[in-house]
This record gives sequence, C-alpha cells and structure tokens, in this order.
Amino acid sequence: MSFTIYVNNTPIEVQEGETLLPVLRRNGIKIPTVCYMHGFTPSGACRLCVVEVEGKRDLITSCTYPVEPEMEIKTNSMRVIKARKALVEMLLANHPDDCLYCERNGNCELQWLAEEMNIKERLFFSRKNSDKRDHSSPSVYRDPAKCILCNRCVRVCEEVQLVTAIEFISRGNKTTVNSAFDKGLNVSSCINCGQCIMVCPTGALVDISHIEKVQSVLDSSKKDAVALLSPAFITSVAEFFNLKAIDKPTNLLKTVLAKMGFKHIYHMGQAADLNIEMETEALLSALENNQTPIFSSCCPAWIKYAEEFQSQMLENISHVKSPQQIMGRIAKYHSESKQEQDIEKLYTVSFVPCVANKFESSREENTQKGISEVDAVISVREFMKMLRSHGININRLLYEKNDKGLEYVSPAGYQMGYSGGKAEAIAHHVNHKIFGKNAEPIKFSPPKNPGSKREVKVKIGEREIGFAWVSGIREAQEYFDLLKQEGRKDIHYIEVMACQGGCAGGGGQPIATYIDKNKQRKKTGQELEKNTTYDSPGKSEKLQKLLGALKGDKGIIEELHTQFRKRDVLK
Amino acid sequence: MDDQLLSIFEQFPNKQRDDLIPLLHKIQEEYGYLSEELIIETGKYLDISVNKIYGVATFYDNFRFGPKGKYHIRLCHGTACHVSGSGNILSELEKQLHIRNGETDKNGVFSLEVVSCIGACGLAPLIEINDEYYTQLTSDSLQKIIQQYRENHSNIYEN
Repeated sequence: MSFTIYVNNTPIEVQEGETLLPVLRRNGIKIPTVCYMHGFTPSGACRLCVVEVEGKRDLITSCTYPVEPEMEIKTNSMRVIKARKALVEMLLANHPDDCLYCERNGNCELQWLAEEMNIKERLFFSRKNSDKRDHSSPSVYRDPAKCILCNRCVRVCEEVQLVTAIEFISRGNKTTVNSAFDKGLNVSSCINCGQCIMVCPTGALVDISHIEKVQSVLDSSKKDAVALLSPAFITSVAEFFNLKAIDKPTNLLKTVLAKMGFKHIYHMGQAADLNIEMETEALLSALENNQTPIFSSCCPAWIKYAEEFQSQMLENISHVKSPQQIMGRIAKYHSESKQEQDIEKLYTVSFVPCVANKFESSREENTQKGISEVDAVISVREFMKMLRSHGININRLLYEKNDKGLEYVSPAGYQMGYSGGKAEAIAHHVNHKIFGKNAEPIKFSPPKNPGSKREVKVKIGEREIGFAWVSGIREAQEYFDLLKQEGRKDIHYIEVMACQGGCAGGGGQPIATYIDKNKQRKKTGQELEKNTTYDSPGKSEKLQKLLGALKGDKGIIEELHTQFRKRDVLK
Repeated sequence: MDDQLLSIFEQFPNKQRDDLIPLLHKIQEEYGYLSEELIIETGKYLDISVNKIYGVATFYDNFRFGPKGKYHIRLCHGTACHVSGSGNILSELEKQLHIRNGETDKNGVFSLEVVSCIGACGLAPLIEINDEYYTQLTSDSLQKIIQQYRENHSNIYEN
C-alpha cells in the first residue's frame, strides 16, 4: 500500500513498511549517517540521521523509523542541524586531528561531516587511543585512535564474512574495536579480506602499505622491478578512469609502469590461463576418481578461512597456486627473457585489487630458500597514490601511442575478476580438454533471478557437470551447509570468492562507500574480455608453449602447486 | 579440559547464546577469574566467537581476567564516595600499589577493583579489603592501612 508523507512541506509517495532514510535518499535529500549500511539491519547507533517529526517530542532516527501516513517531517530544521552538529563534535572529542598525515585525507567521512556541520573548533577533549595501534597483520593496519565506533567493520566481519575477528571490547568511553584479549590481528581469525577497510568511514582501518618498499626498489640500480598486472586490477583502473576497450587499458598501464621505472611487465592473465588449465585437470581427475566437489584455490582469503574454520575441506580444495603466485614464480624462475640473471636481482610487484594477496605473498609455501615469489603487493588504492606521486596523468597518456601488446591471454583472467566468471571459464575449458579443437561450444547461462542459487549444470559429452559459485564467506558457508544437508553430489566444481561479487568487490579496490561498484566493474571486465587475443585458454599458443616447456620438467608443475594446513587461531 | 569445567558446562545442556553470561558467572565463581583458556573453551562449547565472548565479558565490570591478589581491595565509587573524594583515594591507591583498576600486582599481594556503591554512603569514602571495611578515608589513613597490610604480609612470609 502506498501513501503520502510530507518532507519539508513537499509531498512524497512512499510504500508501507519502508523506513524513512531510504525514502529520503531516494528523493535526493542527503541525510548524514555513519552507522547505516545498505543491505544491513539498521541499528540507529550513530543517531546522525535524526529528523524532526511533527507531533513527536524527540528527534527520531530516520534509519529505523517506518513511514506513517500523513506524517510531516523536517530534515533541515535548526533543531535537527544543532543535534547533528553536537553529535559530530562529540565524535571528534578523542580524534587525533592529524588529517594531513592520514591515509584517508580528502576521502574521509568524518572530515566531510566536520566540514558540512561547519565545525570550527574543538569543544570536547577526551583521551586518545593512540597507544593501541596494531601493525601485526600483513594486510590490515588498525589505528583505534581514529575509530569512531560506527560498528561497520564489526558488522561486515561478522555478518558478511562470518569471521568475527574484531569486536567491541570494553565499555563506555573506553570502548575500542579490537580482537580478543587485546591481541593483534595476526593471531585472530582475520582472513585478511579487507572488507573492513572498504567500509571504514575514517582512517582507522587501512591496508599495510608497500609503496615505500616498491619505491626504493624503483630507484635502486641493484634490483630490477617487475610488474605483474592482474586482470581484475586492469579492469578496476579502466573502470576508475572510464577507459573503454578501445583505449587499450593494458597497453596504457604498460606505458605508465615503464614510466614509473618497472623493467619488465607481465599480464597476470597468462598465470590465470595456467591456473584454469591446472584446475581443470584437477577437476577431471577428481571426476574420474569420484572425489568431487573441487573448490577453487585462487582466493587467498577463502583459503585462510578454510584453514581456520573448515580444515576438513582442505583436501577438496584444488592445490593449484593462485595466479599471483604462479606469475611471480614464472617471472622469477622461468621467464622467456631471462638471461643468466640472478634471481635475487628481480623484485616482483603484483598489482591486484586485493589485500589478502599481501598475506599470501608472505606465506612460507610461497617462498623458496628465503626468496619470495612475489616481493610486494600494490592494491588499486596504492597504485592511484603512486600515480599521483609520480605525477602521471592517465588521460593525457591516452593520446600517446600505446601499441605494445600485452594481451596474449584468454578471457579467463578477466573472468576470474568477478563472481561466477571462473566457474564459466573452467566449464569451457573442460569442454575443450575433452573434445579438443572440434568441441561444440557449450551454453553456460547463469540463473537470472537474484534470489536463485548460483548453479549451472552443463552437459559435456555424456556427462552432466555441475558448477557453482559463491562470493562472501557467509554465502559460501551457507551453500556448503546446504549441500551437506541435502547430501547432494551433483555439484562438481565450486568457485569460492571471499569478497562479495568476487575481486570486483575486493578489499583493495578504491573506497566508494555508498556506491556499489561491483556490477559496473563486472561490465568493464566483460568488455575487456572481448579484446583478448585468444577466446579460451586452450587456444592460447603462448600458454601451450609455456605448458609444453614447463611440462618437460615435472618439478616445475609441482612448483605451481601448493599445500594448505590447518591453522589454530583465536576464533 | 578439566572435569571441573566439564561439570560447569553440563549445567548448560542447551548450548544457547543466552547461556553465555550465566556460564561466565559460574566459571568465575569456580576459578576466580576468566582466563584466556577458559574463554576459548567456553567459545568452543557454545559455538560463539572468542572475540564476541571477550567483548561481552569486558562490557561488564563484574568479570575479571586475572587472579585476585592475596588482599583484594574494592574501592567504592558510588555517588556519595565520589563527592567525598574517592577519586583522590583511587589515585593514591594506584600510586601506592603501582597497579591500576582491575589489575593485580606482580607478587600477587594486592589487587584493586573499583566498584559501584557498596551501601555505606554515610561513611564515605571507603574501601573494603577482604571483607574488612575502612571508612572515612584520607590519604594519610590510607597510607597507614596499606603499610599495615604490607607488614602483615612480610611477617607471615618471614615466619
């Protein structure tokens, strides 16, 4: 049932059961809030979204209050604005005010609020939590001094990722967001997905930066910096700068990175092709031995989750290394252009939309004799920062000639950048592997209903193979539980991505709090897919050549596989 | 897991989230405080994240995370005590004992806990040491009391 409410004397048509805040936002009325997140149950904790309702004594929080017929509300009366200002002033009471030195300078919701509320001086003073900084994690840096206790990270960690690595500790003005026994994130159950960073309104949660490490290598003559570009990273940059396939974003990035001082530049799509090839082999042999389902292994946050919470599943996870590690391995040990170069001279830097990759690159399994396969990991955010500090203007470079191709890859890499893409790439490759060049194209059509299970059953030859894909750990866990409960055996391959929407929603993407960019990035990725040289990993001559060379030595294929182990953490 | 803890768990067969706080109370009654190990075991039993339990337990003043000292000092911080200067008494105690609220000193002799009203407002400010009450305190009288306990302790230790 719909009825009319009056907002600042303007009638607005609303549906029964809606809460006020989404209605106001839909009608272009900006309501500040720090605790509200789209898709989550509103908590009314920050109280910044207060509005005045005619006939009510107190101000009410619009995020939790349902619409009523004929209600008259004011969103910008003196009383409302004064109340909001007082709230922001109190949020600032224990804030360090070090905006100039803050990672989120210029992109901080608290900074915006202070500006919008016209706050000119500090009214309240309170103890700062600067002594509780946590550098322990390889991916996420926490600074409780900048935390405004909005609850968003805690909720994402618990409700979306099912991990609960952080929680409100203590009470009243002593409250901090912390992990159990005030220990560091490194011993907590944190899976390094970085979703907390994506929702943090301030600089309380940021990634562990590798910029300085990389910068010092770029300047030194002792080391050669090698850039490994993940397709999801290329997609994200293209989406950010609104580049189309015709602008050849990959070639553009190659120019940019060469300008920055990288000596060699690789497209991680090659590694993605190898990953698809090897994971398909794993799936085929599992099908033969009746050991399905096989879970994908390319997402390091999902792997850490499985190691911590679902160790009984580890043997069903494919042991193929992730594209980042495969690429690092090849770049360091097996590159074509490699002369008698000392391996120690190469310094591999991967560019990914992920912060869990920072953890992955430091895993013991991914090193050999103390040498890492990937030495540093740069997230999309860090890359944007590097662009600015190097004074490189991407839009200007568009006019320069960018014809040095890197795209000797199949679309698989780009497909791995969004949820469901990898399952599709595997399905096509299974078909190719069974029938070779004469394979009939298969139809992989995902269900269109938003609520339906993300499953596709594909008939390949005589056999019907079930593919499924899940993103976000809660969705994944619920799906696993369902499979177990129903005792289903018809799903053979499950793609698992720890971030919602896959890498398109990764923890290393640019911060865009209220805008859901996942779908847009998926579209950009699908456009870039069309521009690749080969239409499937199986048709890539380069891959076949690489594989041929690698397969000559069984040890090398082994190097591209890894081991997982049960992890004992505080959980 | 020891039998003692097991028998506490057995009193909560439903393993519900609501059982958490009563269970923590029982554990603290038995063990004197909530150690890391006990919290982890509780988490496993109730299938609740350790972080969540620690968050709940730190929210309430009632729960302790370290053992009590031989002499457990409870300082009243109710309204009457507050206006009669319990704040000064607290800083004096912290200075004397080198511990803060909720802590136990290195030798396990003294521990300090700030509590809400003890119910003797007419005698404010006051502290309670192992069920003995010391009332209408000043910095000087407090110093003497602490000194007395120190001497008692070292006498026992020497004999």
